[in-house]
Amino acid sequence: MSPGYQKPLRAINFICRATQATAVSLVGDFNDWNPISHPMKHMPDRSWLLTLNLKHGHHRYAFLVDGVLNLDPNAQGITRNDKGERVSLVPVS
Amino acid sequence: MKKTAKNVRVSKTKKAAAGKIHPIIIYPFKQPNDYSDLEGLYGMVSRLAAEPESYARPLTVMDRKTFYTMEGNRAFLDFRDNAVARHSEILDAWCVDTCQMWYEGLGAAFERGAENDVYWLIPGDFNYGTTGGQEVLGGLHDLPEIILELDQDVCVGEIATGHHNSKHLIDTYGTFALLYTWFPSEAQEIRQFTERPRSEFFAIRHGFLREALMQRWYPYEQTVVMLLQAVFSKKRMSRFMVGNISDLPEGREPLAPALQQVERTERVLKSVWRERNQFRSDWVEQYRQLEIRSDQVRRAAFTILQNHLT
Repeated sequence: MSPGYQKPLRAINFICRATQATAVSLVGDFNDWNPISHPMKHMPDRSWLLTLNLKHGHHRYAFLVDGVLNLDPNAQGITRNDKGERVSLVPVS
Repeated sequence: MKKTAKNVRVSKTKKAAAGKIHPIIIYPFKQPNDYSDLEGLYGMVSRLAAEPESYARPLTVMDRKTFYTMEGNRAFLDFRDNAVARHSEILDAWCVDTCQMWYEGLGAAFERGAENDVYWLIPGDFNYGTTGGQEVLGGLHDLPEIILELDQDVCVGEIATGHHNSKHLIDTYGTFALLYTWFPSEAQEIRQFTERPRSEFFAIRHGFLREALMQRWYPYEQTVVMLLQAVFSKKRMSRFMVGNISDLPEGREPLAPALQQVERTERVLKSVWRERNQFRSDWVEQYRQLEIRSDQVRRAAFTILQNHLT
């Protein structure tokens, strides 16, 4: 690997179908589980969307729906975060 | 881009560099007439073998009965020499069943491994030659990589099946119903991660494999026992969907084998329960009560399986 080589980023769409929610954010290893750094956008169909560039590998994440941690029902995997909470898993290749 | 077996590459993460991945392929007990699925599988194995920095030499466990049944078959011998032996080391073993093949393969790989290594079990009797199968092969490497990248102890791969698939029926009405009877809290924890507690796709970390190998090795339903052990000792567990794939006709489960699976699961769970509780003064009475409930669960599972599979 040459010096200065950057791992490629890939745009990933995260979609949360919490139609009754007032605020949804995306939390994960990529933002140190920060509840405010990645708010999701409320879409016309009432779902929530955020597109994020992620590097190659496996990322743990969850949706914070009105302050409550939610798994992504469409996620490809499940694991636990460092606090022992069940969270979702997305592979990026 | 969808991942396929042809563009599989291991993650080059910092953690991945710390340990090697040991692929262990369980060669089908009954040799299929058509080699396209095995060709698909060994196409992937050849790519793993070409990355010795990331992967240990793949290991194929082949039952001697398979070999002797096919020893006069030119196509089999050619495939064994030109694909299996070329891209992996063959571990010839006399095995009573698939679980013993796992034990042989995982044990042999473990003895060559080191502390940070990961062992990746790959069953051979699936339809890898199909488009869906190729897609699954392209994603199977996620299982060991999840362990390395996310510091997990075990990662179970799930395959998507329909509600009337025998595997789904056995797991829902047999495996989980019995698990909830004998180990209710552990069953809840397992089900939070996987709907397929008998999955043949998994990867396991060196330290946990050591524990699993050193404990009593039950003659069947090893994944169920391994998941129970993972819950008992609070191991880090993950689940990953590997896609749509079905096992080959030779390995499918009509009614009689499906019933046998349920009986085996019950037998194993009884043994594990006794091992963990036989030191308590009141264990016999509790065991009898559980046996009565377990018998009802097994009978109900038989009825449901009979209704669906005949």
